[in-house]
Amino acid sequence: MEEIKPTRVIDARGSFCPGPLMEMIKAYKQGKVGDVISIYSTDTGTKKDAPEWIKKSGNELIGVYDRKGYFEIVMRKTK
Amino acid sequence: MPLNRKRAIIVGDGAAGTILANKLRFHSDPSEIEIVVFGKSENHYFKPDGVQIPFGFKDYRNSVKPTQSLFNYGIQFIKSGIKEFDLDNSTVKCEKDNTFRYDYLIIATGDRFSTEDLPGYEKAASHFYSLEASLDLKRKLSAFRGGKIVIGQASIPIQCPPAPYEFTFQLIQYLKLRGIRDKTEIHYVYPLNRVFTIPNVSDFVEKLMEEQGVIIHKMFNVDSLDPAGKKVNSLEGETLDYDLLILVPPHSGQKVITESGLADQSGYISVDRHHLNYKDYDNVFAIGDATDLPISKAGATAHFQSEYLANRIANEVNGNAFFDSYNGEVACTTITSGTQAITLFFSYDKPPRANFQSKSDYFLKWTSSDTYFSAMLRGIM
Ligand SMILES: Cc1cc2nc3c(=O)[nH]c(=O)nc-3n(C[C@H](O)[C@H](O)[C@H](O)COP(=O)(O)OP(=O)(O)OC[C@H]3O[C@@H](n4cnc5c(N)ncnc54)[C@H](O)[C@@H]3O)c2cc1C
Repeated sequence: MEEIKPTRVIDARGSFCPGPLMEMIKAYKQGKVGDVISIYSTDTGTKKDAPEWIKKSGNELIGVYDRKGYFEIVMRKTK
Repeated sequence: MPLNRKRAIIVGDGAAGTILANKLRFHSDPSEIEIVVFGKSENHYFKPDGVQIPFGFKDYRNSVKPTQSLFNYGIQFIKSGIKEFDLDNSTVKCEKDNTFRYDYLIIATGDRFSTEDLPGYEKAASHFYSLEASLDLKRKLSAFRGGKIVIGQASIPIQCPPAPYEFTFQLIQYLKLRGIRDKTEIHYVYPLNRVFTIPNVSDFVEKLMEEQGVIIHKMFNVDSLDPAGKKVNSLEGETLDYDLLILVPPHSGQKVITESGLADQSGYISVDRHHLNYKDYDNVFAIGDATDLPISKAGATAHFQSEYLANRIANEVNGNAFFDSYNGEVACTTITSGTQAITLFFSYDKPPRANFQSKSDYFLKWTSSDTYFSAMLRGIM
């Protein structure tokens, strides 16, 4: 499958809940429809919170990926 | 005076700056280190009383003391803000345009309300995060005869993350005392998928809110306000109308911090988590609400940080070895009903546990302004 290239990458590794999610929301607010936002995090709470927020806000969750020592959450701004 | 007498400059006359100055004075000899505090305030206000003053549960006059009077003997307080930081030359410039050299610089400038981030805020919302706002809210609450109250926070981070829920429990008590609880709907909005940042505390508080009939709206990130139509809109697409909107304003670090290149747009200073020093400068520190550390912005945080830093600087000046570190300790007592409270203890590695609430914890909270002014600020606890 072709890899989706993020418009914006937020490296929030080492930052704790709710820091990474708030960073993601900030990027979402600043972005435009169609933007792909990717966030790197080491905080396990974010792994649950961020996808829930993406769903609730009516945006698209592209995926949650386990990387080496962290995970990546990718969303598309649809509204 | 010895020729190599050092000078510590503390920028900020709030909880962090005052506690640090007083503790450092206790731990060090005035002949070895001079302590100079720069600040802008005439009076020092005990902010935690903001969850009681709007209801008339406390007289605000007991929550304020003249700033100058809170510094122990041997500390110089200069009532002027700092407008420039020059770390390469170890100097700061104050608003009166004088330049001061330092050996140690401690930035304790707290944060500010960045209401410019939320258009319409001033017209639409009330809050309890400053004395003026709390007194204004007191007048509005006195005139309130029932209706719909929306309570929440405009963004994260804010000072004292538990304060919005503490305020809510006190509001319920107030409405009951006035006999208008059954005429009032209380809606609580929160940016995350819970009612507080820390999950186990959130579960505890959410249950209590539900028992009290509070209507909860999770994942409600305030996006815009419509003061004329009395509506608040969330980023997630929800709209709530209100008769009274009580919204903690957006916060950010001080502008001078960003302008001096000490922080990004947020204005919060990044410091070493365990040693509180800024970048590679081992004589420049930030403490209290001014930092971007992943812990509560609380007076209790400032208190623990000051204990560490005062000891460190005093030992260094005395030529003693010092191996301690700050580990993110915070302890705070938070109100969970009209007459009860819980005390939360935490550190970087240990989240707090919400075990039980008690009347004695509420009493602790109730008397905390006395303890604050007489012992905590003074550096003797
Ligand atoms: C409603 C409410 C309830 C709270 N409840 C609790 C609680 O129960 N427990 C708890 O621990 N904490 C509580 N807090 C939080 C606590 O009050 C703050 O975390 C604490 O005041 C932070 O101290 P600080 O010194 O970092 O910042 P501040 O107390 O805000 O002080 C910063 C000072 O720096 C000064 N300053 C700013 N810029 C400059 C400059 N350029 N030059 C010189 N001076 C400058 C400001 O004028 C200010 O006086 C509460 C806060 C609120 C609003």
